[in-house]
Amino acid sequence: MHLNTRQITDKAFTVLTGASVVLLTVVLLIVLGPITWRGAKAVIFKDTIEFRKMQFALYHRGNYEDLQSEIAEVHQFRDAAYLIIDEFKHGIDTDELIDESKQIYRQFGKELKYKGTSGAEYQQIRSLAREIRDKLQATFQSNDKQIIQENIDYILQYRTNGEFVDTAAAGFFTLGEDFLKSVENIDLDKRQEYAGALQKVEDIILHLLGPKPDDPVPALSMDRYGATRWDLAQKLLDQLLWSEKWVQKEADQPMIKVRTLRAEQFEGTKLEPLFGYVQSNLDRMMKPMPTFYWRYFIDDSTPGHYFGGVGPEILGTLLLTLLAMIFVIPLGIISAAYLVECASDNMAVRIIRMGINTLAGVPSIVFGLFGLAFFVLFLIPLFGGASKPCILAASLTLAVLTLPVMIRASEEAIRSVPQTYKEASLGLGASRFRTFMKVTLPAALPGILTGIILSLSRVAGETAPILFTGAVALGPLPKSLFDPTRTLSYGSYDIAVGDRLAMMVPHKQYGMVVTLVLLILCLNAVAIILRAKVFRRLRGN
Amino acid sequence: MPASALENDINIGQIKSAVSLGQKAAHENKDEELDCSCAVIKSENFSFYYGSKVGVKDITMDILPCSVTAIIGPSGCGKSTFLRSINRINDLISNTHIEGKLLVNGHNVYDKNTNLVNLRQQVGMVFQKPNPFPKSIFDNVAYGPRLQGIKSRSKLQQIVEDSLKAAALWDEVKDELKKSALSLSGGQQQRLCIARALATKPNIILMDEPCSALDPIATGKIEDLIDKLQNDYTIVIVTHNMQQAARVSERTAFFCLGELIEYDSTVKIFRNPGKKQTEDYVTGRFG
Repeated sequence: MHLNTRQITDKAFTVLTGASVVLLTVVLLIVLGPITWRGAKAVIFKDTIEFRKMQFALYHRGNYEDLQSEIAEVHQFRDAAYLIIDEFKHGIDTDELIDESKQIYRQFGKELKYKGTSGAEYQQIRSLAREIRDKLQATFQSNDKQIIQENIDYILQYRTNGEFVDTAAAGFFTLGEDFLKSVENIDLDKRQEYAGALQKVEDIILHLLGPKPDDPVPALSMDRYGATRWDLAQKLLDQLLWSEKWVQKEADQPMIKVRTLRAEQFEGTKLEPLFGYVQSNLDRMMKPMPTFYWRYFIDDSTPGHYFGGVGPEILGTLLLTLLAMIFVIPLGIISAAYLVECASDNMAVRIIRMGINTLAGVPSIVFGLFGLAFFVLFLIPLFGGASKPCILAASLTLAVLTLPVMIRASEEAIRSVPQTYKEASLGLGASRFRTFMKVTLPAALPGILTGIILSLSRVAGETAPILFTGAVALGPLPKSLFDPTRTLSYGSYDIAVGDRLAMMVPHKQYGMVVTLVLLILCLNAVAIILRAKVFRRLRGN
Repeated sequence: MPASALENDINIGQIKSAVSLGQKAAHENKDEELDCSCAVIKSENFSFYYGSKVGVKDITMDILPCSVTAIIGPSGCGKSTFLRSINRINDLISNTHIEGKLLVNGHNVYDKNTNLVNLRQQVGMVFQKPNPFPKSIFDNVAYGPRLQGIKSRSKLQQIVEDSLKAAALWDEVKDELKKSALSLSGGQQQRLCIARALATKPNIILMDEPCSALDPIATGKIEDLIDKLQNDYTIVIVTHNMQQAARVSERTAFFCLGELIEYDSTVKIFRNPGKKQTEDYVTGRFG
């Protein structure tokens, strides 16, 4: 080849290799960058007062007095919002108003009995109260403002009646007055519509601020708190301010999402100021604060994956990985030693070799099903264990899964030990076993460690093999090897398929994924440092 | 061709001077006559086959104790095969078989009852390329004694010191026994390998082209060492370097195509060979 051509091809080759390295880096950054960024949000984020309330209630973290004063502060601003909603509600929620009037009537009856009012008088007052009640109910159901005005006026004339002053019946009059005020600006024909829209607003407010202080405590702990994260709070605020609708503008055209201001639905009503109020006072209602939630890595999660951290998941992943390694390392090395040192090149050995190579390419879900059939349903019951998914079965399955990788790496490592080492050892009178243990194995250790690194990464990240053999999405910490465990890989899978959770706690999912990557990196780092040390010792400097 | 004739002349001249030099030391108190009764290695019609391929064929020779025997011959002539048969390191190769007898210290090494561990401890071996273990200098030398079950630290230290001194390496490494053997130079590594072989207290040392990977200075040191060792050990050395064979050995065997062509005193082989093939080889006309 001409010298010039050779130089050009050489340079082209250099450029090409450089470009491929750059490409690889870019791809890695594109893939890992956003995931890491979102995962970091699980640990570093702006929390809200709800988060601190949750942390105190679940883990007793934080100062009680400070928390109480903070709660008092935010409630000043929240109460105003609740007030606006309540006032508006009085105008439209017919059923509740009717219920309230019935309650007042009953209460009033009880009071009368308690006072010991005599029969005839009791009947008289009671029938009057019944009349007021029925009138009120009719008023609530009426859509005519004139009738409402007349009815309320009629009822209010009894206000000063001696029988009603300072009794439960006074409630009738305030109820009526409030209703009159509430309906002032409302188009009464749209009451049904308002009720539906208000329900949505109330739902969003409930998610944002949590249950009201005087509401009963919800059974699920995830319902006990509002938005614990500032980003979630802002998302909810957006939902509060804007309503989304899918509209078909023209026939045969795809539907379009239309965002309209929710305030427009309530134009001219008492609820309208609510939106502006919440928007401008959200930070005072939530008190956001930047947090470094490092306990994410040790906290248990309650309930489900909703609050808390990934402590049990990390523990489970480590447990499964290390246990699988304990099984696979000796087995892999012994098998590799047999293949290199003892096996002759006959049909049986060739079949074994082919089997190992094939196993390395079998989809992991097949190993999962194998683990279920063999370890969970057959082997463990055979030795008297309970036939249920457990850590032992899962780690054995993982060990089987990664055994081919381990065998092949160890085989290569053992094969690459110079024959001269073996000759030297044998020439000094060492047995073959001794030669293997004292000379071949130490010299092959770096290669074997590479195999361990490969297996480790594979095992720690696998989901399919443990799906049926020992992973659970939720549950208590395992007490023995015969209990199932939570793992990072299965946890992120579970959140991903549990669609409601995935939307509500995306940070949790990304956090798990990033934690898994970090965990594998840490485990690998340990192995790589170990390998470097062994290598240096072998090299002799 | 005149050029090659000239080269041959120089070659022969060098060899002859080397032989006369080596002779003085080697042959002062040794009988020139062959005494078969005291042979430490006795080969009787020994043949070695790799599958159906002949390694060596019908070798009959006796190697005398406390002397250096060189085996020379062109590549592929079976000299290494023969050497490696003596301590049965050839067993590593599968699908081989032998015929005839090979006696070491009076025992047939290919007997079924041969204790390989004992055999290999009696017959030390030094290989073509220096092959110290990737361990410390101390551990390299102590490897053999430890195999023999010696555990006492002081005893091991004594053996290591003695062996390194015998291999003329002690002065160079005595302060850094903990250092990796791989940090030594090639010549030092080869002497370490000799020391390692000596540590098991063998009476025979097999050397398979021990200097082929070394520079002339390191080679000189090894040759001096061989010269010194022959007082206490029986040494069999395979070499491509005819000058080396002439310098260090007392007796020389010439192998060609798996057969022993000639086996006699070094002086005779190089000065007055009995066979035409030998003469052609030592004068550089072929091979």
